[in-house]
Amino acid sequence: MKKDKTKFIKKAYKRSKKHFRIDSLQSVITLSFTSITLLAMIFIGIAFYSTFSENAEKNAASSMQQIMNQATLNLENYLHSMIEISDLIQNKISKTSLGNLEEIDAILSLTLEIREDIVSVSIYTDNGNLLLTAPKHQFDNSYIVTQQNWFLNSLDTPNDYLFQPPHVQRLFEDRRPWVISLSHGITNDISSLPQHFITNVDMNFSVIEQLCSDVVLGQRGYIYIVDASGNIIYHPQQQLIYAGLRQEDIEEALKKEPGSYLDTYQGEKRITTVMNIEHANWTMVGISFLDEIVQNRRNLNALIFIILLFGIVFIVIASAFISFKISQPIKRLELQMNKVERGDFNIDNLEVKGEDEVKQLTKAFNLMIIRIKQLMSQIITEQEAKRKSEIKALQAQINPHFLYNTLDSIIWMNENKKYDGVSEMTAALAKLFRISLSKGNETISICDEIEHARSYLIIQKIRYKNKFAFKIDLPPNLCQYKTVKLILQPIIENAIYHGINKIQEKGYIFINVVKEDTFIKFEIIDNGYGISKENIKKIINQESTSHHSSGVGIKNVNERIKLSYGSDYGIKIDSEFEVGTTVSIKVPLVTE
Amino acid sequence: MSLLKKSIVVLLIFSMFFTLTSCTKSSLTSRENEYLIKVIVKKSDHDFWAVVKMGTEAAGKEFNVTIDFDGPTDEEDIDGQIRMVEAAIEDKVDALVLAASDFIRLVPSVEKAKQANIPVIIIDSTIDSDIMDSFIGTDNIDGGKKLGESLISVVGTTCNIVVVNFVKGAASAKEREVGLLSFLNNYPDVEILETVYCNSDEFLATQFTKSLIKKYPQLDAFVCLNAYATVGVARGIVEEEKIGEVLVIGFDSTPEEIAYLEKNVIQSLIVQNPFSMGYLGVKYAIAALNNEPVPKIIKTAFKEINKENMYLPENQQLVFPFVD
Repeated sequence: MKKDKTKFIKKAYKRSKKHFRIDSLQSVITLSFTSITLLAMIFIGIAFYSTFSENAEKNAASSMQQIMNQATLNLENYLHSMIEISDLIQNKISKTSLGNLEEIDAILSLTLEIREDIVSVSIYTDNGNLLLTAPKHQFDNSYIVTQQNWFLNSLDTPNDYLFQPPHVQRLFEDRRPWVISLSHGITNDISSLPQHFITNVDMNFSVIEQLCSDVVLGQRGYIYIVDASGNIIYHPQQQLIYAGLRQEDIEEALKKEPGSYLDTYQGEKRITTVMNIEHANWTMVGISFLDEIVQNRRNLNALIFIILLFGIVFIVIASAFISFKISQPIKRLELQMNKVERGDFNIDNLEVKGEDEVKQLTKAFNLMIIRIKQLMSQIITEQEAKRKSEIKALQAQINPHFLYNTLDSIIWMNENKKYDGVSEMTAALAKLFRISLSKGNETISICDEIEHARSYLIIQKIRYKNKFAFKIDLPPNLCQYKTVKLILQPIIENAIYHGINKIQEKGYIFINVVKEDTFIKFEIIDNGYGISKENIKKIINQESTSHHSSGVGIKNVNERIKLSYGSDYGIKIDSEFEVGTTVSIKVPLVTE
Repeated sequence: MSLLKKSIVVLLIFSMFFTLTSCTKSSLTSRENEYLIKVIVKKSDHDFWAVVKMGTEAAGKEFNVTIDFDGPTDEEDIDGQIRMVEAAIEDKVDALVLAASDFIRLVPSVEKAKQANIPVIIIDSTIDSDIMDSFIGTDNIDGGKKLGESLISVVGTTCNIVVVNFVKGAASAKEREVGLLSFLNNYPDVEILETVYCNSDEFLATQFTKSLIKKYPQLDAFVCLNAYATVGVARGIVEEEKIGEVLVIGFDSTPEEIAYLEKNVIQSLIVQNPFSMGYLGVKYAIAALNNEPVPKIIKTAFKEINKENMYLPENQQLVFPFVD
């Protein structure tokens, strides 16, 4: 069971290996392309992420401070504008005779008309009597100012601008607006006895609320304002705190110096920013939640991850596609080459397409295949021709007609008792056949070839009753060189039958053997009838059909020489009509 | 050339696919954060409901949800409220916070909402069903007990009182009385001279007050079980010029009651917390949406307000809610 399993796994591995070769062009391109791009993407992702996350908290804190700075500034401006109003009244009071309060009253009314955010302005004497007030509503008698903390505090420190936390104003009957108050002491110097007063400016709380609720710190972040003793001036969820539905660590915030701090409150990590508000001795506290920043970071993470994921998928597919496109023609080429490797040349011309390089490769391959095919067919035809020539040459060795004629001549000479001729001719015939058989060898030494020619010439000379004479010039030391056999005899035969036989005078045949540097030249010269130029071509290209012929024709000789030694060698015929013919045979200088 | 074209096509398809998926993802997440919560109360423009609205808005801001606050112009317009609930179901709001105008008639609408898979949180006034996810409101028995506590602390453990209830047979009236009596059982020297029902009629309450003051010269205090009874009794005390002699322990905090409190006619008021109701209503609607456990009943606390503590920072907003 276990063995089967391992077998199966091995099989699967082998199969997968077969289909996906790690060293194939496609997989190399895909893998390298993917890994390089992946590496780059991961690097960029990490760099991007680390830069962002490192700065995220700092950025959050600093942007928080900027926002709060603006809010603080707005608030301070507003508080300052109230102080200016208070100062304006103080100036008037301190320089006005107290008998003439109408002027001040007019200023109060005017101020209220101009500044809609101011609910009321009132001036009390230091013993709690209401001196002046605007607007003019029914005063609530149950409101005893000397029992109020703000009044007592202002009496204690008349030079301080005292801001009261938001509260319900109780100055007038049936009117209970929410206000923030500023109280300040004044001294009148004009009267003989200096008199002390307290001014009280009430501003609509909604202005402060408006200024603060506009401040946005992230989705859940907020600001709140407390005074020095921890009373809430503004908190977006003030009611929840009073109702006990919410807690806020105001004491902690008040202990802190202005700045930003990381802290944990009720299990939540926060950035707390503390800022002082001038004029009022208030503290603005900003809270922003770290999980929002973390959330942003998580979103970024997710984004990077998604981009990476899609990037990888895209790159893998794209590179697989591209590498497939690149390697496909090469693969096809490879397949065809495999066929050729197995010896199958029967392939059509490959379609030339794909990249430039692949095109070139395909073209070259096509060309090579064509060339190989050509060479192969050439070799085949050459071999065939050679075989045929050899067979013909073999046949020539035992041409029966020639044999009958010669034997007839011998018989005839014998009957006429010309015994010299008989023995000479018989010896020549024996030599002729011995050499032409030559143990079946295709090549023989030059001396043997000349002897063969000589024997033939002797036989023919006797048969033709000395109609011609011959002379052979063989330089010494040429016997070591060899040649294709039976190349001279057909030429001589031709010279006798078609040259000398056609003239009246006595014929001559000269055979010269000349050794040059790289080749040997045989020259067969006769003074025969000559051959016309057209006939020269014919002779070279025509098979011999004459039954006089001792066998093979000149064409056969030429072909055999060319097949054995190449196209540089062969027969050349020069002829002049009624003068003679010179046949040159060129063979290489070989010893085998 | 064809290779290049194909590559470009593939690239385009991929980038399209990528942007498509990223778009759907971001739109999904943004939808998640923006629940739309419909709040329907009994009356759109009234001090009490305005504070409820502030509570819902505070929660909306805290939990980043959209609040759609609505209510009929008339508290008696029960059909109008039913129509609003049905419309909200049609609009497929994410959750519903409802102060039911009617104990019985709103039940089918709430059932319909629940069938539409919309969480329903009932605040202040409940319905004759327990199909809703939660009820957030005052516990009337607790309210009655609070009245008793206040009476003992203002008048003392030995006194003669009259209880002014509102509607005989009304569940809330009964519950408040039960709470009061069960608390006063611990104080044998507190004698209840009489219990009267003013039928939520201020004028009737005033008439009762006048006659009862004459009937019981030993009378120390009135304990009033709702706002109408309290205002009626206070008027009677003023008319009979018994301010400070016959004390009043009342319920709720209408501006008129607060005025009487300031003028010493009323010594103590037991007030509810509408802000908390609105806030908690939205808070638990979100909890229900997020499949978090939600308590079936949430009791919001009562608070005793008197002349001394009414201007304390923590009470000022309860007594004088700043409404825009």
